[in-house]
Amino acid sequence: MDIVTLIIICVKALVVFAAIMLTVMAMTLAERRISAFMQNRLGPNRVGPKGLLQPLADGIKFLMKEDVIPSGVDKPIFLLAPVMLIVPALMTFAIIPFGSELHLFGRAIQLQVADINIGVLYILALTSVGVYGIVLAGWSSNSKYPLLGGLRSSAQLISYELAMGLAIVSIILLAGSLRLNDIIIQQQGHFLSWNVFKQPLAFLIFVVAVYAETNRLPFDLTEAEQELVGGYHTEYSSIKFAMFYMAEYANMITASALTVTLFLGGWDIPLMNEAALGNLGVLLSVVSFVIKTALFLFIFIWVRWTFPRFRYDQLMRLGWKVMLPLALVNIFLTAGYLTLTV
Amino acid sequence: MGNIQSISYFLPELMVIATVVVALIADLVYSDRNSYKVGYLVIAGLVVASFTLWLSLPEETTPIFLNTIVVDPFSRIFKFVFLLATFIVVLMSMNSDELKGVRTGEYYTLMAAMVLGMSLMASSVDLIMVYLSIEIVSIISFILAGYLRAQVRSNEAALKYVIYGAFSSGLMLYGLSLLYGLTGTTKLFQLSGSISSLGPGSNLTLTVSTILMLAGFGYKVAIVPFHFWTPDVYEGAPTPVTAYLSVAPKAAGFALLIRFFNTLFGTGQPLNSPVWQAMEGVPWQDILMVLAAVTMTVGNLVAIQQKNIKRLLAYSSIAHAGYILMGVPVLSQEGVYAIVFYIIVYLFMQLGAFSLAIVVSNRYGTEIIEEYSGIGWKSPYLGFFMAVFMFSLTGIPPTAGFIGKMYLFAALINGGSQFYWLAIIGVLNSVISLYYYMRVVKVMYFQGGREKDLYVPGGMSAAIVLAMAIPSIYFGVRWSFLADWVNSSLKFFIAGF
Amino acid sequence: MTGSFFFYFFAAVTLTSALLVVLNRNAVYSAVLLVFCFFSLAVIFLLLEAYFLAILEILIYAGAIMVLFLFVIMLLSLGREKAQEHFRYLQRGLSLFLVIVFFLSVLIIFLSDSGILHQPHGTFTAGGVNALGEALFTKYLLPFEVASLLLLVALIGTVYLAKRKV
Repeated sequence: MDIVTLIIICVKALVVFAAIMLTVMAMTLAERRISAFMQNRLGPNRVGPKGLLQPLADGIKFLMKEDVIPSGVDKPIFLLAPVMLIVPALMTFAIIPFGSELHLFGRAIQLQVADINIGVLYILALTSVGVYGIVLAGWSSNSKYPLLGGLRSSAQLISYELAMGLAIVSIILLAGSLRLNDIIIQQQGHFLSWNVFKQPLAFLIFVVAVYAETNRLPFDLTEAEQELVGGYHTEYSSIKFAMFYMAEYANMITASALTVTLFLGGWDIPLMNEAALGNLGVLLSVVSFVIKTALFLFIFIWVRWTFPRFRYDQLMRLGWKVMLPLALVNIFLTAGYLTLTV
Repeated sequence: MGNIQSISYFLPELMVIATVVVALIADLVYSDRNSYKVGYLVIAGLVVASFTLWLSLPEETTPIFLNTIVVDPFSRIFKFVFLLATFIVVLMSMNSDELKGVRTGEYYTLMAAMVLGMSLMASSVDLIMVYLSIEIVSIISFILAGYLRAQVRSNEAALKYVIYGAFSSGLMLYGLSLLYGLTGTTKLFQLSGSISSLGPGSNLTLTVSTILMLAGFGYKVAIVPFHFWTPDVYEGAPTPVTAYLSVAPKAAGFALLIRFFNTLFGTGQPLNSPVWQAMEGVPWQDILMVLAAVTMTVGNLVAIQQKNIKRLLAYSSIAHAGYILMGVPVLSQEGVYAIVFYIIVYLFMQLGAFSLAIVVSNRYGTEIIEEYSGIGWKSPYLGFFMAVFMFSLTGIPPTAGFIGKMYLFAALINGGSQFYWLAIIGVLNSVISLYYYMRVVKVMYFQGGREKDLYVPGGMSAAIVLAMAIPSIYFGVRWSFLADWVNSSLKFFIAGF
Repeated sequence: MTGSFFFYFFAAVTLTSALLVVLNRNAVYSAVLLVFCFFSLAVIFLLLEAYFLAILEILIYAGAIMVLFLFVIMLLSLGREKAQEHFRYLQRGLSLFLVIVFFLSVLIIFLSDSGILHQPHGTFTAGGVNALGEALFTKYLLPFEVASLLLLVALIGTVYLAKRKV
């Protein structure tokens, strides 16, 4: 590995990190503005033009607030938990390709931090690890509501991870590879070659599972305000509290990007050969990726302000009795179709 | 042999798997009240499986499924033992009052699955299969032991069983992994080749690994010091399950033990050659001899103090495991012959004693030995056969138990002077066991009053008792048929591949 | 050079965290440390180019099993239990003895000629996924199927024992 490659990787990592952080900031504003719009209010519009600087003001506020650590908490784990939540959220993005191959100074640069040939499994592994942050935050707070939130989330995540993994299996069957780039290449061409049209059931299962995995409404039982005060982060304050929110939004961004990659052809623009356009095509592919991801982010917010929360038993029943069998049937059908046709 | 071709050699097991699947689905269809009918399905499936097994060529010895398991006469006779034991226990369970109140669909399904696990135990020649088959049998045993969920002692039995089971399978896995690390293969025959080429420097690892693996096997056959679970589990589990656990998994454990140690540490002679060589360096024979002596002594000494018939039979089954274990380190055809013979005889007498205990418990509502008083006069049928089983378990002529023990001691004596002390301990133990077995007979005949109306058990329970009692006596008088069959089955797949 | 540095670093992390798992008295800490141990073990697998194994280590052990462990620990609130004092010396002596014996036996494996460490290892392509899949469905077909049966009976048993009404 020569030094230039190393630098390129570092730059890519930095760019992705910065992009996610910026998007997180934008999302905090977008969520409030869009929810206000949906509820026929104005939302934050005072800081900066149209309220655009509101996230910055929020950030400063979080930093300046007093960092309260309650006396009964288990300190090392209490401090560790937010970190354990945010790290997997950011790490997942490392393998998502966000554009086609860039040619610069005679080098081919993959627009992807790391091209792992078992990318899909990497994603599953990291999402399954994300639960530790929540569980440990809940436990270490030494308080009833966070503990309940933590317990709920671990049960919820395990239940929905299965359905999510199985939904992805049918995609893997189609692509014949665990590499995300291969999955994108398999979807290139026409609109109808996108997996969302080939695998509508898998798409549905995946999206529902993603909402559950990111703890967003209608599956936000881990932090259900009306029941659990704030859930696992009740006892947190200041920047540590902000980290939980950052993790939540980072998770949403990753999840949206992943949905786009797996089901909407990733950075691919249908009916267009990006490679023929040179670096302009690369730019277009990045734009297409960003637009698609933004669409899903919007849907995240839209759903939040539209659907009521599930009850806990409903959530479990949906996960185990509906989604899991459906996903299995879907795999069975896909495999049968592939055996008969290929 | 490849995977596809192997299927035709795997038919009996496939029949068992089919039974499991059919029983599982049928259990969904039946209502709670009718779920015991799954038992009939399982019986039918076991009969079909026995039939296919009977049709399979008795002389066939071949490794199948890419050398993970083998088909040979040795595993065949054990498969018959498992099928027979399961068949009898299913019948016993259908006549047991203990299981009347609960849904038994899963119970019979799991018993059918257990047959498969045990068959695989008897035929595995790959460490992975060894482990998997042991785990199948263990997990089903846990569930069956805790099957009466409403009863605290059944729950306790299951929990204790799980904890000991997890611990011992952990130890066994560690032992297996040491063996794998030393040789780089999981196949038993390659293992034995690699082991004999290892230098003496590896003896420590081999010994540690042997002890650890013995913990796993020993746990299944309940030899001291891996026996701690036995009394509580046997007492807490439903009686038919206790009967089952004290016979079938034990037989499977011994089948595995014999194949494993003879292949691994014997130096590759076929089973029917009279003299074998033990591998130098690993004192596994000494370990097994000491374990056998300790096992039967502890089992018998503790059995003396028992007041509950199930606990008594539980501890005595530990003692019997000790007797049987005596035959393993002898490393001769005679030793293996005696073991197989004893296991078959033991099956009849142990299951007979338990089925009688079930009848008594159904009728008189007691498991306490003191409360058996007068049963010999109140119900001559029960009294007489209980006496038969007790005589046979002690090993008093003219019962089958005597012949079984005779063969075991003969094998020890012929094995050489280093086994004499073990034989002496074995005889002493038989004398100890005489005391507590005879106490049951004494209580039944010499204590308590008589009643006017005699109790004669009817139907299936009486038939099972009779069916167990006849071989217990018959094989004590004329055992040549059984002896021939066992003798012809002493062949296991031996050539390397 | 960097490779061996990473190896020694993560080997040290693995060993330290594994040791702390055992020595720690707080069950939750032990669980978290075990997760760390799994992670650094996964990194060692990565260094060996066994990507698939590395991911499985995280996915199954860290992601599924340890979450359930933690779940149970939290439900039983075993958090700050004190160890029993009675058996302390016996326990320590015995474990020290066993550790030495086991260490020696592993050491012998390292030194023996025919041991696993001296055998040529197969090459992993595609992180080992293809090789593993092929082995599972040819060489280890029967164990694979038997494992499914094992899981089935475990499932039947769990459902039976855990369901509310008999």
